[in-house]
Amino acid sequence: MKINGVAIEDTFAEAFTMRVARLVITGRTLAWAREAAVKLTGFATSVIGCKCEAGIERELSDGDTPDGRPGVSVLFLTMDKASLPEQLIVRVGQTVLTCPTTACFDGLPDAPDRLPVGKALRVFGDGFQASKVIGGKRYWRLPVMEGEFLIEETFGMLKGVGGGNFLILARDAEAALAAAEAAVAAMTGLPGVILPFPGGVVRSGSKVGSKRYKNMVATTNDPFDPTLRAMTQSQLPDGVNSVLEIVLDGTDAASIEAAMRAGIPAACRPGVNSITAANFGGKLGPHHFHLRKILA
Amino acid sequence: MSDAVTLSLATRPDHVLVADCIAADRLAALDAKQIAQLPVVHGGRMAKLEDFFKVRGERSSVVRIEGDCARIEAIGSGMAGGELVIDGNVGRDLGVAMSGGRIDLRGNAGANAAGAPAGAARGMTGGEIIVRGSVGDEAGARMRRGLLVVTGDGGRGMGKGMIAGTVVVFGKAGSGTGRFLKRGSIVALGEVERPATFGYACTYRPPHVALLLRYLGARCRLEVASGQVTGRYERYSGDLAELGKGEILRWVGE
Repeated sequence: MKINGVAIEDTFAEAFTMRVARLVITGRTLAWAREAAVKLTGFATSVIGCKCEAGIERELSDGDTPDGRPGVSVLFLTMDKASLPEQLIVRVGQTVLTCPTTACFDGLPDAPDRLPVGKALRVFGDGFQASKVIGGKRYWRLPVMEGEFLIEETFGMLKGVGGGNFLILARDAEAALAAAEAAVAAMTGLPGVILPFPGGVVRSGSKVGSKRYKNMVATTNDPFDPTLRAMTQSQLPDGVNSVLEIVLDGTDAASIEAAMRAGIPAACRPGVNSITAANFGGKLGPHHFHLRKILA
Repeated sequence: MSDAVTLSLATRPDHVLVADCIAADRLAALDAKQIAQLPVVHGGRMAKLEDFFKVRGERSSVVRIEGDCARIEAIGSGMAGGELVIDGNVGRDLGVAMSGGRIDLRGNAGANAAGAPAGAARGMTGGEIIVRGSVGDEAGARMRRGLLVVTGDGGRGMGKGMIAGTVVVFGKAGSGTGRFLKRGSIVALGEVERPATFGYACTYRPPHVALLLRYLGARCRLEVASGQVTGRYERYSGDLAELGKGEILRWVGE
């Protein structure tokens, strides 16, 4: 299979089940809502080092938010049930609570599993906090120096999918970056998906474990490192001098498939040799995204 | 099972009629005959609901009342769920000690709406009462939880002794509003005579009020001005002669 002359390898991306929450952060302006979301989702690229993965899903207009203000929705993923509320409580408390004008709402109201994020953060109010039940949902009002911070008592949690991916193999770093940027632009704002890495792009794809260091969980993906072509069992075709990876997390497999269906063709630009994906032979996770099936 | 149970006032009561049997959750379990046989008190004497109302429908948690019920008291008393829609005025004690569900009154209510039974420490403990009109004295008195919305005026002592919950009044709130308030919020979009035992805190844009008013606009189809949703409110904490964790939020414009 080829798209615009770019080969689509007959392989699949292997992803795993994670736990996901969606937060809706509103502010007096979109800029302030976004400011909180950027801080909240900072240092949340990979569970390997950050214990969580997070990103801005999309911007929301006034009519799409509970309080009628502009906002952003954020997806937040962890590997297990217990660590999701831990991460959210710490991060929301330090980044959204602190950010001027913001409020924080649950974006998965129908999820039966509830995380007591607002309930835990209420104690910042030192006894001066107050709750309000509006439309059957409980909110906490925390007095702050600016005025009041409003946060929903609980947030929904679902089983999500982490680790969807595809790799862009290009003749040089410039072509790889341009293709990655085009792919990210095509996928940005699609519902149910985030790209947790910087600018949505990973330059340091990893393999599981290490050939040399026992305590390393992940190390450089040497079969795809162009500078190691002569030293390892390289999987890079001739003419490929740079590789970038796009990693996708989402609320479900269908959302990730839809995003890959939009992103991969956008990455098929001049200077790109082929598109492939990272997998571990099906041993890592239950979700397999076959590139050619998705694009067929 | 019907879409709704409709009670049409067929005979106007000559005296005060206490109809605390009318609650949406209670009627949801009854057929039309059982509903008609429910006991009421007319002028101090026992009577049946069918003596005054024509009953249509059965086994529904949506109940509609048609007719001027200004002499009928305690409608929705102790209601725990379902929806009660009333077209017309009602007497005192509407939704007294209510714990869930919603009452939507298209008319005026007498005293002690959403309040407490005589001698009880707690009034309404949950649910929503929307009054598209005015209420008498001491509406929301000793409320523990829940929401009372009045699009018209409130009488004296509105929210008196509230323990928690929310009262929203679009019109004028009478003297003594919020007196002995422990916790809870009184959102006054019109004039309010606040007690001297409330202390001014600040003027700000309370985020929960915006959320609440948007909810009332969308869910209850109340006309709420955008300036009230996004506007500034003076916050008075009180009753400082009591626990003092309550508030009167007075709208002061955009």
